[in-house]
Amino acid sequence: MRAGDTQLEIVIGKLLRIGVTLSTVCLVIGLALALVRPEAPTTLISAGILLLIMTPFARVVLSTIEYVIARDWTFALLTSIVLVELLAGAIAALAFHRKI
Amino acid sequence: MPVVTAGLVSIIFLAGAAAGALGALLGLGGGIFLVPLLNLALGFPIGIAAAISLATVIATSCSVTAGKAGQNLMNFRFGMLLEVATAGGSVLGGITAQFVTQAALQRLFSFVTAIVALVTIARSNRRNVILDPTVDPGVLGGRFFDQESGREVVYRIKRLPLAVVVSFIAGNVSSLLGIGGGFMKVPVLNAWCGMPLRAAAATSAFMIGVTATGGAIIYFGTGQLLPIPAAAAILGVRLGSWVGLRASPTLPVRSLKLLLAGVLGTVSLLMLWKGLR
Repeated sequence: MRAGDTQLEIVIGKLLRIGVTLSTVCLVIGLALALVRPEAPTTLISAGILLLIMTPFARVVLSTIEYVIARDWTFALLTSIVLVELLAGAIAALAFHRKI
Repeated sequence: MPVVTAGLVSIIFLAGAAAGALGALLGLGGGIFLVPLLNLALGFPIGIAAAISLATVIATSCSVTAGKAGQNLMNFRFGMLLEVATAGGSVLGGITAQFVTQAALQRLFSFVTAIVALVTIARSNRRNVILDPTVDPGVLGGRFFDQESGREVVYRIKRLPLAVVVSFIAGNVSSLLGIGGGFMKVPVLNAWCGMPLRAAAATSAFMIGVTATGGAIIYFGTGQLLPIPAAAAILGVRLGSWVGLRASPTLPVRSLKLLLAGVLGTVSLLMLWKGLR
């Protein structure tokens, strides 16, 4: 473990906390609205779920940027591969979405 | 498929809270309890149960990682290296899940829960810490402040290929069944790859966020991540794990583990019964 890692850990911790908090706020309000007015669309809940899914994704993006800045090419490459894999998942999701 | 009413939303919320509390008490994500509750007790198809459970796994992983940030317990480098395998496994698992029958998934779930029950009973607890702080942990090893011995300790990573293979399989199973996969990674990292138990558990909790994202994104696209039940489950799990984490130091671990093994054994038999009909 290198000197900058603890710092990266704290930054990532903050990012994850923000993501989860924002998502929770959307979910609480969205769920309350859905219970009061069952016929209304559930856009806010979907936004909350999408925010939640995007949070670890944002964490991988942030790590990649940090490793590029630190010129740590091995780990920049590894985190980039994870990004590509998650993007492949998103493309597969779009493909499935179109089929329905 | 049950009709979503206010009553059902409350039941899902409570199921999520129970799963989250049990999971936090036992160091698991909670998905292994939530999926059978949603599938067997409430009648959701297993794909939808898995989708909802994966969303709660992301929430748990993010909260745990944020809560432990700065303690050096999580090995980010090793975790990110293994994420290459686990994310690939989870995306493939999410795609595979769309082509597998409900009965096959139930049989797989039964098999996996039976193994977790056995591992829980026979869980190895190797220390793996090197007390000499001058030892070089290598690129992937780590050092952290160990509360048990009251000093900074070092560990080195061994058998990297094994860790990579297990992470891939864990990612795959995670997406197929809607569980975090920590129960597979933690014992292997602890027993064979040189990681102390607390570091292995923290690193696994960090990784399962990305693992679950790989599967959840696909379920989101297929429309199986039903918004209202998912919201109720996520909020329930967040409440439950918050309570569980605060209660865990005061409870006897041995009886908890036996309870866990008993619950999982029961779930395994129920899933097998459903999967064979």
